[in-house]
Amino acid sequence: MGNPVNPRENDPSDDATLTKRLAALDDATHAMAEARDFGKHLRLRRLLDSLRRVLVQPGGFAAVQARAADLEEAGLFHGTDWATPEVLVPALCGAGLQSENADTVLMEAVSELRMLAIATGEYAHPNVSAEDAHQFLSQVLATNMALLFTPPSEAERVKQGRMAQLTRDLFRHLGENVGFESVLDRLVEEIWRILRQRPIQVEQVQHLITQIAIFRSDPDVELGSAGQGVDRLISSLYGTTEACREDPGVDVYRSRLEAMDANALQYEAAGFARAMHDTGLVSPYHAELLRFLLDQSDYLLAEAMGLSSTGRDCMLRFHDLVHRLIEEAVHPQTAQAVYGLALLLDRGILYQPPVAPALWRQIALPLSPYAQERLTLAYGTTPSPRARLLSGVLSILGLPLGVGQGDNPTCQSARALSMWAYNDPDYLLQVLVWVARDDEIIMHFEGQSISSRDSISGVATTLPTDLDPVSLIVVPHLDRIYAEMGRRCVGRAGDPHRWVNPEFHGWWSARGFRINVDVETGKLVDLEEFLRHFYAAYHPRYNGDQPLIHPQPGGVAVTDSAARYVGWHAITILRVARDPQDVTRVYFYNPNNDSGQDWGDGVVVSTAGNGERFGEGSLPFEQFASRLYIYHFDPLERGDLERVPDDEIDRIIGYIRRSWGADRLPAGELQASPEPSTRPPD
Amino acid sequence: MSKPEPVRRNPEKGYVAVLGWSLNAVEALDRFDRRYVVVAPDWAEEYCEEHDIPYVSWNFERLNDRSLEIAETLQKMGVDVAIPLYEETVEWAGAINSVLMGNPRLLGQAMLLRDKALMKRRAQLGGIRVGIFEEAHDRDDVIRFLKRVNQTLLKLDGDPSDPIHLKAFDKAGCLGHRVIRTPDEVDTIPDEEFPVLMESHLDGWEFAVEAWVFNGKIRFLNISEYVTLGYSVFVPATPELEKFRPQITRQIEKLIKAFEIDFGFIHPEYFVTSDGEMYFGEVAYRPPGFKVFELLERAYGFNAYQALVLAFDPKTTEEEIDAFFPREVVDARGHAGCFGVYPRRRVVSELSIPEETEDHDYFESHELSAPLEETVTKRTAFGTHWGLVYFFGDDPHAMRGLLKRQEDLDFYV
Repeated sequence: MGNPVNPRENDPSDDATLTKRLAALDDATHAMAEARDFGKHLRLRRLLDSLRRVLVQPGGFAAVQARAADLEEAGLFHGTDWATPEVLVPALCGAGLQSENADTVLMEAVSELRMLAIATGEYAHPNVSAEDAHQFLSQVLATNMALLFTPPSEAERVKQGRMAQLTRDLFRHLGENVGFESVLDRLVEEIWRILRQRPIQVEQVQHLITQIAIFRSDPDVELGSAGQGVDRLISSLYGTTEACREDPGVDVYRSRLEAMDANALQYEAAGFARAMHDTGLVSPYHAELLRFLLDQSDYLLAEAMGLSSTGRDCMLRFHDLVHRLIEEAVHPQTAQAVYGLALLLDRGILYQPPVAPALWRQIALPLSPYAQERLTLAYGTTPSPRARLLSGVLSILGLPLGVGQGDNPTCQSARALSMWAYNDPDYLLQVLVWVARDDEIIMHFEGQSISSRDSISGVATTLPTDLDPVSLIVVPHLDRIYAEMGRRCVGRAGDPHRWVNPEFHGWWSARGFRINVDVETGKLVDLEEFLRHFYAAYHPRYNGDQPLIHPQPGGVAVTDSAARYVGWHAITILRVARDPQDVTRVYFYNPNNDSGQDWGDGVVVSTAGNGERFGEGSLPFEQFASRLYIYHFDPLERGDLERVPDDEIDRIIGYIRRSWGADRLPAGELQASPEPSTRPPD
Repeated sequence: MSKPEPVRRNPEKGYVAVLGWSLNAVEALDRFDRRYVVVAPDWAEEYCEEHDIPYVSWNFERLNDRSLEIAETLQKMGVDVAIPLYEETVEWAGAINSVLMGNPRLLGQAMLLRDKALMKRRAQLGGIRVGIFEEAHDRDDVIRFLKRVNQTLLKLDGDPSDPIHLKAFDKAGCLGHRVIRTPDEVDTIPDEEFPVLMESHLDGWEFAVEAWVFNGKIRFLNISEYVTLGYSVFVPATPELEKFRPQITRQIEKLIKAFEIDFGFIHPEYFVTSDGEMYFGEVAYRPPGFKVFELLERAYGFNAYQALVLAFDPKTTEEEIDAFFPREVVDARGHAGCFGVYPRRRVVSELSIPEETEDHDYFESHELSAPLEETVTKRTAFGTHWGLVYFFGDDPHAMRGLLKRQEDLDFYV
């Protein structure tokens, strides 16, 4: 047997750091252990800080799990509810893990790891049996599903900072060790929900599916009827077709392909294409097949990508380019590029005159040492950084709405990249060349040039590592330019986005601008006028039935599931249309990685089932308007302001009052402190 | 790891009283082999009862004809020695010990150690170098001193003056410590701060020493290196400062002789100027602030409060004390340092530990809390920091750089 593609695991490179931090942890544990009960709390601070530093290291969870008994005996939980694990309630763990207080999160996390140590038999606890501990953790997993596979939302990042990532890593560790049977159904449902948004980055989902696959292959596990639909997910990665059913490894698969006739190859091609378009996931074997088919026939190549007639035409018309793209960018490690390429061809953007030559330039592009270093740091050395970047180009051009901001406050930059990939792919490719080759972008702001090299700082304070290849190297430059444009507006009255957005995103971002928040006071202003103009510009019934032509930047006030204000956030308004139920909805792009968010007061962003295209989020027009605080419009196109019904405006204002506007009502009504509205949204 | 067993207290060994409330000290004593009692104001009573901590109530601010009472109470209990934990209890310890040990000189010694001006005179008489100093009773005294110091330094009118330092006579550490550069600044000193001690400014490297003394000999001598006074300190010091250890040891021996210190713990501060000359700053007969005891425990692994008890207890044996202390510098497991955070902005809304700090290899822990008020009071004197950040690592130079670097970072935004 060859080397199965599944599973792949992490490399132990951070061992030295972990060892050091464990020494500090053990010292702090010891210091607490020898302290008297009444002095335990004097030693707590250091113990918690050293725990946090261990937990953020690879291997940290296992190490703390192994020390669970020592930590408990030393008195970590002394004087708290966690001191009596036998009475802890699984349903309450979520609140602890999502607390704003980092120490509460840590205590909760260590308590979970203690349960895990008990469940696995490492720690024979006097009051909790292994079975009880296992049961407890299953319930914790089931009630906090989102922590398993979505990166932190805007709300969580604002509230918890870096702890938000820690709880996710914790859940991964718990899931892998507890097993998924109790939560499998909901888990699978969630994975499908995420995949229906067709994100570019699927590593997290792949990892989960891999874990489920490993878990299912354990003969001791009795799954019963659980996990409907999980087969399709697993097989789309590791056993999609007849010839790779048992995950034989790429080399074995290749030799099988060589022995096949055209009929059998047709079978393989169709099988992979179906799976890919069904799930959005691409098997490493699929990449191998594509490479193999380069020497076979274009017919089979088109079959293997599941192309539409447009895509097929495109492939034949740009035959040499497509072949070179596959040769350079499609490898088992970059299999997702197959999906990107297929959709790129289906979109027909190669027919825009500059795109094909720009892709040829991209293929031959020498990368700067810095760009190579960044890519290698994030993705490793195989395939080469250039191939990795090219595969990223295919993905972003194929799935413009699949761009995510990762765990970074750079929604503006992610939105710009997505908008260009969607609307102006040629420009995106140009920007990418400047960054990848020259390490510099120069943009112009009101006639003055701004270099991404001169600007000192952006919105983000650290370099991202959790992004797709294109975003990874472009975002830091865009972020600095965006921040610099904001700085050049300092001192002007009003919101800087009025000037920054059109200059930053492109000419199509309209110069007309409205905001319903007074920058000075943070209070709501001109609410009704704001809403009427929005209707007149965007709603087909009041704008002369004109569909939106270009994607437009917009700003929303994000609220949490209790409708409390969280922060300003950048989105793109893509289109306004009627859904299958005849409700007029706004379809928009949200650079957050999961658009399906509950904004409270019944405002739940839908991502599928209401006429959404892949990657779109949508809300009924009214509800969307109730969270909007900034939009652009063309002042020369006047809609019917007066025809917008008053009761509709009133309903929207009701939504606003019940959520983010509650403490922003103009003076005379409720009083509240001004929010930091001068800060750019992130 | 098992729960610590209750310590069996050895009746053959001394019985100590600690003066003042410090939970860190009490906790350390509770797991040591000496009998002990805490002498503290009555607000500590409930806590002590709840946790079975031996306790005698005493209000140290009250000074009247009943003051002998506490010495007699402790004597009746069989206590051998009283140990001061704070500046304000130093003369109480002297008074009590003069009764317990039948040695009236101990009170006089304590009074010397409590008054910064007397202390300097005594040091001078003992052949120890000190800077120029004088007492001030009002603002005119301060202006006169400032002018005179700068005349001595041959400054012309209009030259930037050398600063002078003002310190309260009887407060610990940086409390009430001001730097005065111009006569205008003199007006900012509130009346209630007088009288004060004035000192000329010495350009040099300031450091502190912690020395445990028993039977008139130094048993453990630590040199604490200040990176910036009032901000940061670490132990053990860099090799550059440690190379002065022989000279420093001689200075401390002079000090012990001058103040006739036979036992206990001293915490003096010195300057070493660029030509290697050592100037005495002040000395305290109690544990240092800035959590130096905690840093010592982190670096060497011994509990400095227990060490304090050993050095004070007259029944401690030579063997016991030798076995207790590690060897200076060579036995340290690393360098432990801490940084005192002051907000750098006038208006702050939240605590935000810089990632650069939190991710640093040496970072250990912090005890900062979220701000209670948004406006930061302007610092008049050296003031109190908002909390400490702790570091631990192998390289003293990296430690020094790291602590210095923290001064440029915002912990409150």
